[in-house]
Amino acid sequence: MAEELIRMEHVSKLYGRVQALDDVTFIVREREIVGLLGDNGAGKSTLIKVLSGAVAATSGEIYVRGRKTEIRSTRDAIALGIETIYQDSALVTQLSIARNLFLGREPVKGPRLLNRLDQSAMDEVARSLLKRVGIGKNIPPDTPISSLSGGERQAVAIARAMYFDSELIILDEPTNNLGVAETRGVLRFVRNARNSGHSCIFIAHNIHHVFQVADRIVVMRRGRIVADDIDPKRTSVEEVEFIITGMSPEDLRETASATGA
Amino acid sequence: MEHRSLAQRLTARPELGPFVLLVVELAAFWAINHDFLSPQNISNTLAFTVELGLIALAMTLLMTSGEFDLSVGSVFGFSPVVMWTLFNGGFTSLEIAFVIALLLAALIGFANGWFVTQLRIPSFLVTLGMLLVARGTALFITDGFPQRTWNAGGQWLADVLVGDFFLGPFRIYMSLFWFIVAAVVLGYVLAKTRFGNWIQASGGNAGAARARGVNVSRAKVALFMLSSVIAALAGIISSIRTSAANPNSGTGYELEVIAMVVIGGTALTGGRGTIIGTILGIFILRVMRNGIVLIGVPGLAYNIFIGSIILGMMALHYGIERRQQAGG
Repeated sequence: MAEELIRMEHVSKLYGRVQALDDVTFIVREREIVGLLGDNGAGKSTLIKVLSGAVAATSGEIYVRGRKTEIRSTRDAIALGIETIYQDSALVTQLSIARNLFLGREPVKGPRLLNRLDQSAMDEVARSLLKRVGIGKNIPPDTPISSLSGGERQAVAIARAMYFDSELIILDEPTNNLGVAETRGVLRFVRNARNSGHSCIFIAHNIHHVFQVADRIVVMRRGRIVADDIDPKRTSVEEVEFIITGMSPEDLRETASATGA
Repeated sequence: MEHRSLAQRLTARPELGPFVLLVVELAAFWAINHDFLSPQNISNTLAFTVELGLIALAMTLLMTSGEFDLSVGSVFGFSPVVMWTLFNGGFTSLEIAFVIALLLAALIGFANGWFVTQLRIPSFLVTLGMLLVARGTALFITDGFPQRTWNAGGQWLADVLVGDFFLGPFRIYMSLFWFIVAAVVLGYVLAKTRFGNWIQASGGNAGAARARGVNVSRAKVALFMLSSVIAALAGIISSIRTSAANPNSGTGYELEVIAMVVIGGTALTGGRGTIIGTILGIFILRVMRNGIVLIGVPGLAYNIFIGSIILGMMALHYGIERRQQAGG
């Protein structure tokens, strides 16, 4: 079994009196794509917000490669190699692909004082990265993000995480609002990221998408993890659905016939 | 996509519209009155254009970062008043008075930036307040009377800032030189440097920029300070050239400057800015003001034309933007 990359232990989160996370222990190993499933309000988003530094946990510990760490801000998380990709929000749409890839870490050439961007180096890396992440089309690196499709934007965000050695890439609903071909593209980018040594947490409403990429599926319900070692190769989509909803097959059939579906 | 023709590249640039408008304007005024392009008229127009233009250049960077500054017109009036009051009162030499005036302007800019970034108050409200504070202070320390500036004769500082000389038939002020320097430096900063990338990112998606470790607040504070200092410099230059430091001068300049910037293609909402566009915008408005008078339209009708230009250019910019996004 591969080494542990992230271990969240006994993590709880209270929003006022609402228990969003209830004593959750969650592990991601090296080179592993973990599919995180659960119904609305199950606590998936809260869990990854804690991990990406967007919200602070009420209690619990986080270990990165066995070392206990404090994640107080998104910047802390990025410094630890944890990159979160939300739909759209991580990119500046007015800027080019190359400028987005290097935002905040731009290479400079010439004298320090002149602060000059090394545009050719940025373009060079951007071009090879887009190829590596698996974008087939030839998109010039000076294209503004605003003229890319949703899937291409995801690809740029994933490429950035890969280039800056993020060890864990968290994808929150990356296939939302995407067409069939685009979705297939994003799933391929995720697999490429894993094959080049990155771990991923993949969150999606669409169970089928998760089944296509995940090495292991974790299911949450009402702030707790109810299953954390589902092998998508040996489990059916239906079985996972039962776990998500917490109903037995008979219950489900009853509700289905009751609602006439 | 890789092999777009030159024509396509040109039409995709936001500066094309303003450029065409400026050429049309120049041609129309010249056709109606040939004196429009006389050396004397060009010299006169340039003298004041570059003073407002300096402010517009700094405002371009600030607006690209997603903020704007309504207090520049007041600072334009306030700083020369401070400088000349100190000098005429015999408190300090002109050089030190100049430095003090610029430092006070920097402080005003810092205050603007601090209110906007730390208290998270919209720049509209913060700089509107500062507009009144700076103007009020200028009126208070002068009792509302202009300060004499004719002691500037023979001062090296005055010569460096606005000394004039003849270049052929053209009377050129040193301020034109400073305008060109500022345009080159700020254009370079915005388009070619790391800091420029941060400015654009701060205006485009501050959250994303912050998540990548860009210090958005620091960038904005620096730009507020730049805009104030440049407005002070422009005001001082103007006061020396016109031999008067009037506490009321600069009233309304903030809106004209913002108009110049947006006509040039910089987005009012931030994220996208162009120095070349701003230079075009500066000339579009100043040439319009000058040309209208020369061709015999009553000067009071000037604002009708300015307003129409702003509306027309906004329609054009937003139309292009929508088409590009739809075209993906």
